[in-house]
Amino acid sequence: MAIKDKLKTDLFPTIWCPGCGIGLIMQQLASVMDDVGLDKDNTVLVTGIGCTGRMGAYMNFESVYTLHGRTLPVAEAIKMVRPELNVIVVSGDGDLASIGGNHLIHSIRRNPNITVLCNNNEIYGLTGGQTGPTTPQGTTTLSSPAGAAYSPINLQGLVNTNPNAFYAKTTVYHQGPMRKAIKEAIEWPGFSFIDIASQCIENNGRRIGFASAYEMLEHYKTEYKPGPRDATRLEPHQLGIVRGEPVTVAGAAPSGSGTVE
Amino acid sequence: MTKRLVQGNEAVLLGAIRAGASYFAGYPISPSSEILAQASQYAVGHPEFRFLQAEDEIASVNAIMGGSLAGAKSFTATSGPGFSLMQEAIGYGHKIGIPAVVVNVMRVGPATGMPTMPGQGDLNQSRYGSTGDYTSFVFYPSTVAECYEYTIHAFNAAEESRSPVVILSDAFLGHLNEVVDLDEIKVPVVERTIPPLASGGTRLFSGVATYPDGEPATADSDEYIRQYEEMREMRRKVAQRYAFHEFGWNKESDTLVIAFGITRRVAQPLAPHFALFRPIRIWPTLDEELGAIAPRYKKIIVIEGSDGQYANVVERMLLRRVERVPLLGGRMSLEAIREGLDKIGMLPKGSSTAAEAPAKGVKAPAKGVKAPAKGVKAPAKPRPKAPARADAKASAVG
Repeated sequence: MAIKDKLKTDLFPTIWCPGCGIGLIMQQLASVMDDVGLDKDNTVLVTGIGCTGRMGAYMNFESVYTLHGRTLPVAEAIKMVRPELNVIVVSGDGDLASIGGNHLIHSIRRNPNITVLCNNNEIYGLTGGQTGPTTPQGTTTLSSPAGAAYSPINLQGLVNTNPNAFYAKTTVYHQGPMRKAIKEAIEWPGFSFIDIASQCIENNGRRIGFASAYEMLEHYKTEYKPGPRDATRLEPHQLGIVRGEPVTVAGAAPSGSGTVE
Repeated sequence: MTKRLVQGNEAVLLGAIRAGASYFAGYPISPSSEILAQASQYAVGHPEFRFLQAEDEIASVNAIMGGSLAGAKSFTATSGPGFSLMQEAIGYGHKIGIPAVVVNVMRVGPATGMPTMPGQGDLNQSRYGSTGDYTSFVFYPSTVAECYEYTIHAFNAAEESRSPVVILSDAFLGHLNEVVDLDEIKVPVVERTIPPLASGGTRLFSGVATYPDGEPATADSDEYIRQYEEMREMRRKVAQRYAFHEFGWNKESDTLVIAFGITRRVAQPLAPHFALFRPIRIWPTLDEELGAIAPRYKKIIVIEGSDGQYANVVERMLLRRVERVPLLGGRMSLEAIREGLDKIGMLPKGSSTAAEAPAKGVKAPAKGVKAPAKGVKAPAKPRPKAPARADAKASAVG
């Protein structure tokens, strides 16, 4: 197994800021691909707008870099047309949960057999650090100088509106659990969503009091604890996987009746 | 094989199937919904044809981009407000070079507007709806048979131009039923032009300006211009094979009428009095084709279901003034055309409503309704009196 085979290392260094968490996600994704049998002939990456979206350009797979917020309809269509393909969505919390929020709730409902990796840095990083849908209430950002006014969106709750879906919470510090979650998610028969807490030091961390990316990783290390095995619900800052009731997903479902038999 | 009654919207769907389409994603909206419903019906018996009723038009149009990249000839159908929502992704398709077909069955806008009334007001949007510079292919048939025929051409043009091609229709044409034998219409089908996803490569399909290796080219003007000009030139060449138009009626007349889509049908009784130029390919414009015949005519009248969208285009193409007969608010009738012609002093002598039969396929006025005399505007229909609202009363008292 060679991670390097999965990456376009000739394009390195990446565009991401020093200390960014996205590379840690790409590393784990690349490292599990051989284990679960993903290669150029059977895998498509679909990425959205935001820093995370660049990942498609750095991996040795065919990749669709969609419009802002539109990863899920593109990914679902690819899966419906080519059920034999592994379709992996990699995007940020703003792309998936804010501008793409309507697609997210309906993808969860339709339960397509795709995997979503959400780089959740609680901020709009690419545009400089504005409040996002996952920004904790009270956080000072470029667009919330008096503190973010509203409570963040409940991604776990959204995903689990479908009793057949898969939700995992991890952080970029917890590489083992992240690796396990990515592997399980890819093999999950249906919609799987991995919510990965990830640091954005340049456009969020420093503004909220962290001196370095290392400090943010230390924060994940001390704040996040493993949740119970076979959890049905994770508390905030708990690591773990909430598995729904797996159903057989028919990629070529009778059209007009959704994608699940 | 057999002649039968076919509806305009149905003919579009059948044309798509004939062209080899195997993925449809859409969202219900009048007056296009029959295409969605019939696509879902077709999918039941044809598992190779994939169907998605999406959560909205944004999802629909992005889904057909994904479906096309995955290998299926893909299409969607919508109307005014839904077409507006699709514009960003249409630009995305142009940027990347994704073959797809978007059907826009026009109603009266803007906004929710008049959902069941025919309009032709989306011409500009079908050309300029997205941001930046790109070359749109847009076809607008006039008959049910043409809905079938030009849908196949649209899929062909989409493959050859590697772009989302738009088929314009309208509420009348989409709901028009005509007896046709679609099997008699033979259009060769162009096969897929891009290898499907996961063909062993490492391509990056990016809406962001990038170099061929995938690195961002977001601040490289020269690279942008190189890619843009290459795409524009390729599409210009493809367009030469799709210069569809009609030139007919009374070519000896000194006046040329320009009408398209349903308007050309409604104007049919004027055939003895005027020459007709009908663009079927609305975009790119038919500069050469129109330019070759326009000098023969002293006057040019553009009859259309918008306030001059195409008339402006003709003036720009020919660099000369044209007369305008706008049919607004869904009032697409021979009477409305006569009124418009009379207003600009162009109503043909000796033509009267009674003397001419209505155009084929155009609804005759209901029995007992007398057509207004020429030049006389029909009195406005009295609006039914609304019962006084209780809350209005209350506030008046309060």
